[in-house]
Amino acid sequence: MRSSIHAAVITPLLLALLGAPPAHAQDEQDEQDDEETIEAAEAASAELPPLPSTATLEVNPSELRLEVGETAQLEAVLQDREQPLDGYTVVYFSRSRRNVGVDATGKVEAYGPGEFTIVALVPRDPEDRPRSAEAMLRVEIPVTIPNPPVETVELVRLPGSFYAGTQLLLHSRVIDRSGVERSDVEVEYESSNESVAEADAFGHLLLKAPGSTTITARAEAATSTRRIDVVENPVASFELVSDFEEGELAEVRTGDVVRLSAIGRDRRGLAVEDLPVHYSVAGRPAVSIIAPGSTAMVTEDGRFVAERSGIYTVVATAGGFVAEKRIRVEPRRVRKEAQYVGQGKVRDRHTSDLWIWEGQDGRDYAITGTWGAEGHAYVWDVTNPESITLIDTVRVDARTVNDVKISEDGKLAVISREGASNRRNGIVIVDVSDPSVGVRIVGRYDDQLRGGVHNVFVHDQHVYAVNNGRRFDIINIEDPAQPYRVGRFELDTPGHAIHDVWVADGVAFTSNWGDGVWAIDVGGGGKGGAPNNPVPLGHYAYPSGWNHAAFPYRSKSTGKFYVFAGDEAFPYGLTGREANEAPPRAAGWIHVIEWEDWANPREVARYQVPEAGTHNLWIEDDVMYVAYYNGGLRVVDVSGELLGDLYAQGREIAMFMPFDGEGFIPNSPFTWGPQPYKDRIFFSDWNSGLWAIELVDPERPDRVIGEPQ
Amino acid sequence: MSIQISIQMSIQMSIQMLALAVAATLPLVAAAPPEADREPPLRDYWAYVCAESEDEVALIRFGPQGAEVAKTIEVGTFPAEIEGPHGIGVSPSGRYWYVSVSHGMPFGTIHKFATGTDEWEGDTTVGMFPATLDVAGTTGLLYVVNSDFFGDHSPSTISVVETSTMTEVRQIPTGTMPHGARLSRDGKRLYSVNMMDDELVEVDALRFEISRRLALSTPAAAGHGGHAEHAGAPRVEPAWVSAPTAAGKLYVAALSGNQILEVDLAAFEVTRRFDTVAGPYNLAVTPDDAMLVATYKKSDAVGFWDLATGVEIARVATTRRIPHGVAITSDGRYSFVTVEGVGGEPGVVEVFDNRIQERVGTVEVGKQAGGVAVWERGG
Repeated sequence: MRSSIHAAVITPLLLALLGAPPAHAQDEQDEQDDEETIEAAEAASAELPPLPSTATLEVNPSELRLEVGETAQLEAVLQDREQPLDGYTVVYFSRSRRNVGVDATGKVEAYGPGEFTIVALVPRDPEDRPRSAEAMLRVEIPVTIPNPPVETVELVRLPGSFYAGTQLLLHSRVIDRSGVERSDVEVEYESSNESVAEADAFGHLLLKAPGSTTITARAEAATSTRRIDVVENPVASFELVSDFEEGELAEVRTGDVVRLSAIGRDRRGLAVEDLPVHYSVAGRPAVSIIAPGSTAMVTEDGRFVAERSGIYTVVATAGGFVAEKRIRVEPRRVRKEAQYVGQGKVRDRHTSDLWIWEGQDGRDYAITGTWGAEGHAYVWDVTNPESITLIDTVRVDARTVNDVKISEDGKLAVISREGASNRRNGIVIVDVSDPSVGVRIVGRYDDQLRGGVHNVFVHDQHVYAVNNGRRFDIINIEDPAQPYRVGRFELDTPGHAIHDVWVADGVAFTSNWGDGVWAIDVGGGGKGGAPNNPVPLGHYAYPSGWNHAAFPYRSKSTGKFYVFAGDEAFPYGLTGREANEAPPRAAGWIHVIEWEDWANPREVARYQVPEAGTHNLWIEDDVMYVAYYNGGLRVVDVSGELLGDLYAQGREIAMFMPFDGEGFIPNSPFTWGPQPYKDRIFFSDWNSGLWAIELVDPERPDRVIGEPQ
Repeated sequence: MSIQISIQMSIQMSIQMLALAVAATLPLVAAAPPEADREPPLRDYWAYVCAESEDEVALIRFGPQGAEVAKTIEVGTFPAEIEGPHGIGVSPSGRYWYVSVSHGMPFGTIHKFATGTDEWEGDTTVGMFPATLDVAGTTGLLYVVNSDFFGDHSPSTISVVETSTMTEVRQIPTGTMPHGARLSRDGKRLYSVNMMDDELVEVDALRFEISRRLALSTPAAAGHGGHAEHAGAPRVEPAWVSAPTAAGKLYVAALSGNQILEVDLAAFEVTRRFDTVAGPYNLAVTPDDAMLVATYKKSDAVGFWDLATGVEIARVATTRRIPHGVAITSDGRYSFVTVEGVGGEPGVVEVFDNRIQERVGTVEVGKQAGGVAVWERGG
């Protein structure tokens, strides 16, 4: 209804009569001469007649070639039938403003190399209403900015000794005039005495005979030289040893890493230092494996791993010396059957994350969030996983409760809020000390957390809350009714973002898309960090920029410390939000980062299911549980040293696809997060709620569904 | 989505609104509108509407049969993340629509779609939480304010996008939490407000720089604000600016100041202040510059103002909470108003007949309906 009614008569509504623009600004600031010229031109243009349809625009020069740091001036010529048109504004802009700039006068400056375009255009008459926005006068000016010339090239990583009959790969560091280290410049090598050493076209140096020669590295016009002395190869004997005793070699399974080491000894039996050794592998996969493709690998430092069973021969060469080691590789045989136990059905909305815990009363409980809905979190009794029972519901002002976490003592839940109707998101703290009689909200915190909290972690009476995708805030919840911020951490890299945080032993591991995984001392990293003083320890990024989650884990079987970094990616576009659409498809994999030294993380292995994509993960007792979105739940053996493609090595223990014909999107597995708990595996699925499964021995262990299972 | 048409409005105005109406001394009814004014539309009108918590855009048709969702179009890139379409605009040519998607990694994006087919045409990354946008027909350049609603209240930018290639070609430094963006008809000037700086800015849209700034906070305005006691807090919190009128006026919604400010562009000063109920948020002016329609975010209502007299001639309660955007058809007859709703409620598009200031259609859309743009199909 109307709250009050018109007394004045509304004049009849007319079509638009939008006329002249407002008067120009009176700019009180000092202006440059050229700016004044433009101001005058613009003032004049307000009175100008519409641009004739026969007008032409020409810009000189019509193309540019500039060195980095150089400038040039563009001159626009606006004409109509060869008569100049004065007073009209020409707009300049660059389509690559970080590499080449142009100001309002047409002055161009080159910042970085490449092929770019500057656009000059004259605005159309506002009364002209053609159907195409491209009809205005527009000129594109190609700009070529060549790479700066190479300033220096330097031979690096040369060994201390050079032995006749061996060969080595040459490495160089190339720096251009702007100080940038370049990897795209071809480096040529030559030897001054090819009877002593000869460089091939692929950067290898073949050491032929004792003597001296000068090696020249050439990159563009830059060169550097290094004199080397080639000596007789002192090696008298050459052997290949492994960390597996001969008797144990028969126990090698697919995925097991065998460390091999080739040792050359002189006549006195002493190991020869700096002896370049090349490893290779050849093998015969098991006869039952037809057309297997590549079946094994050996690294430059002699680590061997096979993806298929069979007999492999690792060959080490050094000069004229050859040593071999044969390894029998058996199937890994870790396969289990994933068996349905129970389901807490959520079919009327999407489900997000989960957490399972043992309550104060000894019963087992779960909490799950909801996504794109009405701000619910569900509390379940999962003591009997065959009969998962919804026992309580928390509802907050939010559209998405993306994350749910439980404190170590099992008394508090922390849930995240996104899409609050008042745009004050933040976190909500829930008393879950006795879910059997109900849960209740005991605290809220949204100060400077309005932008949406996507993920949280609870550690030692502090909540680590990912805020607005930019930073994490650390909130003390010793008194859950009076939470307060004690610290925050935000990267300072250009365009930084954060998606997730996980805290273990006083170190926070954050997942930051293109900035990769960061380790931050918040009390356990030994660098003086604390919740009120987070101190970065190290970081690792990979090229795709898909880093979404990270799970730190110290291997029980090897003692090695790994971070398992998960991707999230949807390169196939938007699908699957509605029941009548094709299910969504994700991409991405788990990156296994060996991180014994904070300053030197190394990505050593991957777990990648083709045609599906990772989400959240959990690792316990050398078993990894991965919610693989459209690939369902995956259970993976991550025992032992990890190297190469874990999926291809037959380390997958089990998979489970949570099909639900009555799901929010029927029969569309989209697995969100896993958690192993008391011999069962719980996981949440976006379309169907909370599930429990268990692993059992396969009924037919001899049944193989394709190698390498 | 249901189809509803409501000619006879029967929603009870809240006591609070009644009190506010009385306080504002609005004139009473002089006469019922002529029956001819109550006739349903003779043709279809179209509008694109963002559902910010649904990651979809709805195409609304309002015509003789009422209002309905003709189509929904999913936007964004991540099926499993809410990315938040917020601002929307149709190019002056009518061939394309553009939507700002708020959340990215971390920057937001602008997506381009063809009208009619609603096929995706391209996108580009801009700044933090891009919100309101406008497209210049004279240059093909799009301007979008990077509102950065949830940042540390530091100065932000206005992105300039070449729409033919969907390339961000410039970021213009402006102020803290810019919102609202409307171009002059000739595409030479862009107007925006900086919510946390209490200022209106005029952008030279061809030179890509701020040409004038106007402080909107005055001692008088401070008396209306809810934050005046906080040092540094905005007193009027301007949230929106209308497109300039033919007479060189524009209107600013003071969200916390509870006023609508009229700015004379020649003098670049505030010439009139209209007291409103709490929370004026988005504004639109009819093409004949006679009427201004305002959403009142904090009062769950829509106001209709006679700009000649400066009188609010009608105020209508919305069907749900948190009205957001408003867009007026090119013939000036109808206003499409979006209402966010709360929690899991669907958003709502309410269509008002500006001649009688009555709601004549409602239709539900996805959650948190926000940005709205009229599309003159075939026009």
